[in-house]
Amino acid sequence: MAFNVLVVDDSAVMRKMVVRTLKMSGIPLASVHEAANGEDGLRLLGEEWIDLLLLDINMPVMNGEEMLQRVRANPETREIRVIVVSTEGSETRLANLQSMGASIVHKPFAPTTLRNTILSVTGVSDAEYYGAVPVASTDSDF
Amino acid sequence: MLSTMERCLSRALTATFEELALICPDTRLSDKQSEAMVDVAVSVSFNGPLSGRLVLRASSEILPGVAENMLGADGEYPLAVQRDALGELANVICGNLLPMIGGAESVFVLSAPHEYVTGGEPHRCTPVARSSIGIEDGRAVAQLLLCDESLLALDLSLEAA
Repeated sequence: MAFNVLVVDDSAVMRKMVVRTLKMSGIPLASVHEAANGEDGLRLLGEEWIDLLLLDINMPVMNGEEMLQRVRANPETREIRVIVVSTEGSETRLANLQSMGASIVHKPFAPTTLRNTILSVTGVSDAEYYGAVPVASTDSDF
Repeated sequence: MLSTMERCLSRALTATFEELALICPDTRLSDKQSEAMVDVAVSVSFNGPLSGRLVLRASSEILPGVAENMLGADGEYPLAVQRDALGELANVICGNLLPMIGGAESVFVLSAPHEYVTGGEPHRCTPVARSSIGIEDGRAVAQLLLCDESLLALDLSLEAA
């Protein structure tokens, strides 16, 4: 199975770092989409089939916590695997995100930390590091 | 002797550059590093139990290497992208620092990083902690500023003075 991934973060730099790590992780990728806030992310979820969502919390327009609540409330998206990639340090907030089924990767992250979490969440066990395949991306900021 | 807040800032600054920019910074600066200009500055404002901003200044000559480490060696990145990379570092430093000084249960809202212009403070803020690291022949300097009401809440007025 090749994964369709959505990366939601208001920082173009962080999106590029996450996408770069994804491509190096060795998990099979069908497509990688990007959004700069929760509202744009929800719109993309309505247009594209997404298997894995990588989500920041502190964002303008709609933050990641609200986006995750809406993802879980929608029968068509509630089963999506979600990894929150954030500097968020509030234990209250992190517990709420985990109660909604999100895995947490704390920034700053080592690329291997993010990779291992992606492998754990997706269940891919035989990925070869740096074994990236060419993949369609909506990356357009750089 | 470093204050608790400066120790927290130093820890967040060093860890963020190590893990996100893949740089092993010098915590004891050489004379050359200490004298290097810090001519690019970004800041992140925050609100919550404490309000203020984190300012991150850096020598422009270290920024191409920082951006390349963070984004990949896809060619030279323009200054705007280098500044965005510095801004993301500031964002992560701030996000890691606030639970250390504000408590693990506290919820903060951080603004997007932006270019910092001295004197552009919307509120009265006071510098309460500062930390520097050396990188190649340049340096990066992080400074935490808290708004006056936050200073009162933390009872830091005397220390800041």
